[in-house]
Amino acid sequence: MFTELNSILNASPESLTPGEFILLSDRQSDASFLIHHFLSFYLKARCKVCFVALVQSFSHYNAVSQRLGISLTQAKEKGQLTFLEGLKESLSVLIPQEENAENQAMSFLRDPAAGLRSLYEFIQSSVVESNGSGEQWGPPVLLMDDVSVLLSLGVHVGAVLDFSHYCRATVCSQLQGNVVMLVRRDGEAEEDDEGSEQLMRGLTHQSCLTLHVQGLPTGYCRDIHGQVELCWKKRQSDGQHTPKKVFQFKVHDKGLSFFARGTSSAVL
Amino acid sequence: MLSELLQGTDIGGFLLIQDSCTYCGRDLLKSFIEAALNREEVVHVLGFDVSEEELKDGLKSSVFQGLHFHNAFADPLGWTDNSHFTVHQFSSSGLAELLKQTAQSKPATLVIDSLSWILRHVTPTAVCHTLQQLKKGGAVKTIIGLLHEDMHSRGIVGSVCRLATSFISVAPGTKADEGLAKITRRSKSGKVMQDEQIFSIRKDLTVTVLSKPTNFGRKQSNTEEQVDPTANLTFNLRLTDSEREAKEKLALPFAFSTEKKTALLHSGPGSGKILYEPDANDDYDQEDPDDDLDV
Repeated sequence: MFTELNSILNASPESLTPGEFILLSDRQSDASFLIHHFLSFYLKARCKVCFVALVQSFSHYNAVSQRLGISLTQAKEKGQLTFLEGLKESLSVLIPQEENAENQAMSFLRDPAAGLRSLYEFIQSSVVESNGSGEQWGPPVLLMDDVSVLLSLGVHVGAVLDFSHYCRATVCSQLQGNVVMLVRRDGEAEEDDEGSEQLMRGLTHQSCLTLHVQGLPTGYCRDIHGQVELCWKKRQSDGQHTPKKVFQFKVHDKGLSFFARGTSSAVL
Repeated sequence: MLSELLQGTDIGGFLLIQDSCTYCGRDLLKSFIEAALNREEVVHVLGFDVSEEELKDGLKSSVFQGLHFHNAFADPLGWTDNSHFTVHQFSSSGLAELLKQTAQSKPATLVIDSLSWILRHVTPTAVCHTLQQLKKGGAVKTIIGLLHEDMHSRGIVGSVCRLATSFISVAPGTKADEGLAKITRRSKSGKVMQDEQIFSIRKDLTVTVLSKPTNFGRKQSNTEEQVDPTANLTFNLRLTDSEREAKEKLALPFAFSTEKKTALLHSGPGSGKILYEPDANDDYDQEDPDDDLDV
């Protein structure tokens, strides 16, 4: 969890805004540091986290989270974290074996046109399941890394938007939890297409906070890794409407520093 | 024109609010709902995009009795078996049944949030057909719909707009709290009126129409001052009166008056004369070749 980002978002593990749909996106850059931030943030806030990780393995996220002070293995054992490792589960769908009971969540790989209903049902069962003898956790949180890979697996944009709508209805509205999704956009902006841009627009309409990461327009720089644009859609609770903020950032080994445009220590 | 639309003078019509990612039109939609409820109309809302709490957030609770929210947000496709209204029930018969469930004395105002959701699952022709039948049928007095124009191709957006009697396209204004509304109204006689207004919506959902957007180019030329080029110089460029007189009297070298013309064209006595005797091969033309010169 990066404390500077918390102060920019006016959030802390002790005081969460419930019912938020946060959309992360990147273009020609890598916004996965935001996924690690939100993962460790919600685990520190004692929320029940369901993480659908479609692009990296469990050990990758575990290694990065340990640098941020969270152990995913422990969280999984305690029942706080439900981790769907997409890469591993997809093998059991594509190469079915007798011993392994097929996890229905990834069954869309067989038939992408059928939609993501089974993935939604998996998520619903993991966030709604009652805590038996375990500890009481906070509101549920759904994290997805990342949504645009579903498009490359053959799922239609409409099906992904329906899926995100249902996740929002269940997690944000019914259970007052939060949803965080990452969308990767293509290099060039496509016009009027069926690809990631339309998905991005659809998810932006559904979300209340968007964080868009992109590289510097002038190219690669050693001291500034890129810029983040934050867009709030709803009015803030104090009535002020702060629509957009732009920051530049640099990712360190164990942290992140944000600064206003043009005020990097390398420049000043 | 925005205030007139809010006052509901457009009876029997279809009002369409078009928004995009850059500016959310839901606040304006809520202002229309509030205005209709304040006029004690019966309002039915088909809520696909947002939940009931989010839609009612900001509306005054005293007017809730006229508002009927049909929850199509929780389960619009029937995935859980807990569905109140699915997207496939959006047809004239399905809607007529829905409206019959609540006993009503007067025709209702139907608010659809949003048409984009429906257009993703129902063919555009069916949606347009349903809207047209609703307009003609008696159960619904006015239809107000929200459409996200960047979610559909221009053809679909155009088809739905064609059905609307008035549509408002909202975009972000120059300042943070303001929006720019482009309004088009089609009256029954076929006349089309268009207008552009800047507006802002307060927390209590009242709409303040601010002004027409100023045209930047025109504004700049009006306020441009006449700059005096002879001011602030280290040398003197100004003329005294006698100097100005002498300047105006001066005849410029290539501005021809008639005396100067004749003096130049017909050389005076004493200057060389040119005698020309044409050869046998020459083509002697009696006409003056300089006759057509306008000097």
